Amino acid sequence: MIETRDLRRDFGGIRALAGVTLTVAEGERRAIIGPNGAGKTTLFNILTGELEPTGGAVRLAGEDVTGRRPHELARRGLARMYQRNELFEPLTARENVALAVGAAAGPYRPFTAPRSSERASADELLERVGLAGRRSAPARALSHGERRQLELALALAQRPRLLLLDEPTAGMSPGETTRIAELIGSLDRALTLVIVEHDMDVVFRLAEKITVLHEGRVIAEGTPDEVRGDTQVNEVYLGKVVA
Amino acid sequence: MRSALALLVAVVPAAALVTFPMWSADWESSRYATTILRDMLILAIFALSLDLLVGSAGLPSLGHAAFFGGGAYAAAVVGQRLQNADLALGLAAAVAVSALLALVVGLFAVRAAGIFFLMLTLAFAQMVFAVAFQATDLTGGSNGFSGVRRPTFLGLDFNGPEPLFQLVACVFLLVLALLWRVRGSTYGRALVGLRENERRMRALGYDTTRLKLSAFVLAGAIAGVGGALSAYALRFVSTNDVGVGRSIEAFVSVLIGGTGTLAGPVIGAAMVLYIERVLPSSIPFAETVLGVVFIVFVLAARQGVVGLVRTVYARARR
Amino acid sequence: MSPDVAVQQALNGISFGALLFILAAGLSLIFGMMDVVNLAHGAFYMLGAYVTLTLVQRTGQFWPALVLAPLVVGLLGLVIEPLLLRRLRGRHLDQVLLTIGVSLVITDVIGLTFGREIHAIPLPPGLDRSVPILGSDYPVYRLFVVAFGTALAVALAVLHRRTQIGALIRAGVDDAQMLDALGVDIDRLFAITFAVGAALAGLAGVIAAPVFGIFPGMDVDALIYSLIVVVVGGLGTLSGALAGAGLVGPADTFGKVLFPQFALALIFAIMAFILLLRPTGLLGRVRIAR
Repeated sequence: MIETRDLRRDFGGIRALAGVTLTVAEGERRAIIGPNGAGKTTLFNILTGELEPTGGAVRLAGEDVTGRRPHELARRGLARMYQRNELFEPLTARENVALAVGAAAGPYRPFTAPRSSERASADELLERVGLAGRRSAPARALSHGERRQLELALALAQRPRLLLLDEPTAGMSPGETTRIAELIGSLDRALTLVIVEHDMDVVFRLAEKITVLHEGRVIAEGTPDEVRGDTQVNEVYLGKVVA
Repeated sequence: MRSALALLVAVVPAAALVTFPMWSADWESSRYATTILRDMLILAIFALSLDLLVGSAGLPSLGHAAFFGGGAYAAAVVGQRLQNADLALGLAAAVAVSALLALVVGLFAVRAAGIFFLMLTLAFAQMVFAVAFQATDLTGGSNGFSGVRRPTFLGLDFNGPEPLFQLVACVFLLVLALLWRVRGSTYGRALVGLRENERRMRALGYDTTRLKLSAFVLAGAIAGVGGALSAYALRFVSTNDVGVGRSIEAFVSVLIGGTGTLAGPVIGAAMVLYIERVLPSSIPFAETVLGVVFIVFVLAARQGVVGLVRTVYARARR
Repeated sequence: MSPDVAVQQALNGISFGALLFILAAGLSLIFGMMDVVNLAHGAFYMLGAYVTLTLVQRTGQFWPALVLAPLVVGLLGLVIEPLLLRRLRGRHLDQVLLTIGVSLVITDVIGLTFGREIHAIPLPPGLDRSVPILGSDYPVYRLFVVAFGTALAVALAVLHRRTQIGALIRAGVDDAQMLDALGVDIDRLFAITFAVGAALAGLAGVIAAPVFGIFPGMDVDALIYSLIVVVVGGLGTLSGALAGAGLVGPADTFGKVLFPQFALALIFAIMAFILLLRPTGLLGRVRIAR
C-alpha cells in the first residue's frame, strides 16, 4: 500500500533520516516506534507530504508520490491524525467533521448550502467515535480525549485507504487511551494503518508488524514478538521503557 | 422557512433604503444626506468585498484599492472610448478588469501568508497606482479622469442624485444578498475552514492555494463593482482610488465594524465615512481622529462594533 | 547612453541605494527582533524630514538635524512601543495594524501643522558644490550620502558583531522565552529596538530631505520602497537590507532613465522575479512566499 525506498532527509547539517526502506501491505497494521530523535516525526511528515525528502522515494498504491503536496495525497486516499490536534477551534464538532466530509466533493459551490447528506455523514462519524452527544460543542470546549476523538473522526471522514496516526494516545489518561485504542482496533480491516507511538501497550495491542527506528535507520522489523525479543532493540529502546 | 422569514424582515429596511431620497426630500433638499449615504453604501460594498478576504478567508489584504480603482477606471474609460453609457457594459468592464487584476496579483500574493501577504498586496497595489499615474492617455494620470458619463440601462437614465442613489442602493442590496448566500454555502464554509486551520484543510484534501486565489478574485470583482459605482457617482476617477489611502480606508472600516460578519463592514464604512466627511465640517483633524479610533479598536475592541454588541448582549443574558 | 551619463547614473544609483539602505535598515531591524512589520516606518521618515525643515526654517542650520531628528523620532518610538505595541505582544498582525493607525495620526498631525505644500530645503553649505568626476561635475552631497550610508553600515555591522544583542540575533534566538531565560530584559530590548528603528527612519528623512523635497505623501513612497528593499534583500537582516538596497537603488535609477514610464513596474517585476526564485529574498532567513 505504501512503501518508501531509501528515504533520506537532512536538516542543514543534521541527518534525520539516513535511508529508510519499508513496505506496508494493504490492510496491514504497522506501528513505527523508536526513541526520541529516531526520526519518527520526520518520516511521518514526509509520508503526509508536508516535508520533502532529500533523497529516496515514496510510493502510494504503486504510484510514485515523492514530493507530492498534502492535499494531493489526501485525494489519493491518505488521511492523518496529527499528534497535536489540528482542529477548527471555533466550529462545532459537527461542523468540523462536515468540512472533512465535504472535501471529497470539492468546495466550489458558492451558492448552495452544505448538503444534508453531508451533515448526516458527519453525525454518523461522530457517533462512530463516541462524540454523538457533543456534536454541537465547539471544538475548543471539548476535553483533551474528546478532541483526540474528533481528530480521528476528521481522518475517517475522508474515507481513506491509508490512515497515518501520529501518537494517537498522546497526553491521554489510561481510560481515554483504552477507549481510543479500542476505537482504532475496531476500524475496518481493509483500512491500512500506520501508527507512530510511544505507548508500548497500545503498540503491542494494535500492531501486526512493528518497525523500529533508531538514528534515522530501521534497526528491526517484524511481528511484536520478534521485535520484543530482538536484542538490539532491547538495548536501544525497550530496555529503557520496559515497565 | 427561516430564510423566507428573514427575507420578509429584510424587505422593509431594504425598501426604506432604496426610497430614501423620496421620503427625505422634505428635510434635506440639498441632497447632502443622500450624497453621504450614497458614498457610505459604496464604501460598504468595497469593505464587504475586502471582508471576504480578511474576515472569511483570513487573508489580510492591504492592496484592495487596486481592484476598486481598476473597476472605476474601466467603467469610466469604456463609457468614454466606446461612447456608450450602458450600465451593463460599464459594470461588465469593471468586473472583467478588476477580476483579471486580482488574478494576476493573487497568483503571487496567495503563496504568502499573514504579514507577508499583507506586504505583497500593498506593494502590488502600488504598482497598479504607478501604472495609473503614468498612463496619462488612458487614465488622466495625476489629474484624474473627469467627465465620467452617468450610466443608462434599459431606457432608465441614472443621471441625477435620486436615480443614482437608487442604483447604488440596489447594487448594495444585491451584493449583500450575494455575500449572505456565499457565507452560508459550502464555499463559504470552506473559506472559514481556511481561516481557522489551513494545515488541516490541506490534510483533508482541499487545494488551499486555489481556494485562496478564488476568494481573492471574487473579492476583487466585487470591489470593481464598487469602483464603477464610485466613478458614476463622482463622475471622476483619480489615482487616489487605487492608492494606499483607499485600501486603508476599507481595512479600517472592516476592522472597526467587525470582521467576519455582514453587518460589520457596513457599520464600519458608515463610521469611517462619517469621520472623513461629516466631522471635518466641525473639526480639522478628522484623519487623526480616524487613526486614534482605529488604534483604540485594535487595542481594546478587536472584534469591532459587532463584537462589542455581542459581548454586551452575552453579558446581559447571564 | 554616453559614458559620462552612465557614470553619473551609476553614482546616482549608488547614492540612492545608500539612502535606501539607511531607510530600510530600521525596518529590517524591527522585523528581525520583534517580528513586526512597522508600517509607520514611512511616517517616521517623514517626521524626520519635517523636523529638519523646522530646524532649517528657524535657525538656517542643517547639521544639527542629523542628531535632532533621529532623537525626536526615536523618543517617539520609545513612547509608542511600551504604550501601544507592548499590549499586543504575540499578536503580530494586530501590531502591524496598530502601526497603520500610528501612521495615520502622525501624517495628519504633520499635515495640520505644516500645511499641504511642497517644501524644499537647500543643500547644506559645504556640500552644495559639485566635483568633477570622470569628465563631468557631480554633486558632492550625493557622495556624502554614499559615505554616510557606508559608515552607518559599518557601524551597524560592528554593533551586530560585538554586542550582546548582535550575538543573540546571530545565534538566531527568535524565541522571547529563550531570551527571557538568558536573562535579557525583553521589554527594554523591544522598546530600544523599536526606538532605534524609528530613529534610523528619521535619519533617512534628514538625509533625503535636501535631495527629494518635503511634501505630504512622502511617507507612502518611503514605505513602499523600504518594503521592496527588505522583501528583495531578505527580511530581518542587515545584510539583507544592504543587498536589497544595492539592487533596488541602481535598478530604480537606471529604470527611470531608460524607461521612465515603466520604472516602478520594473522594480516590482524584479521583486516578483526574486521571490519566485528565492522565496526568502536574496539573503533572508524567513520564507515570504511558497
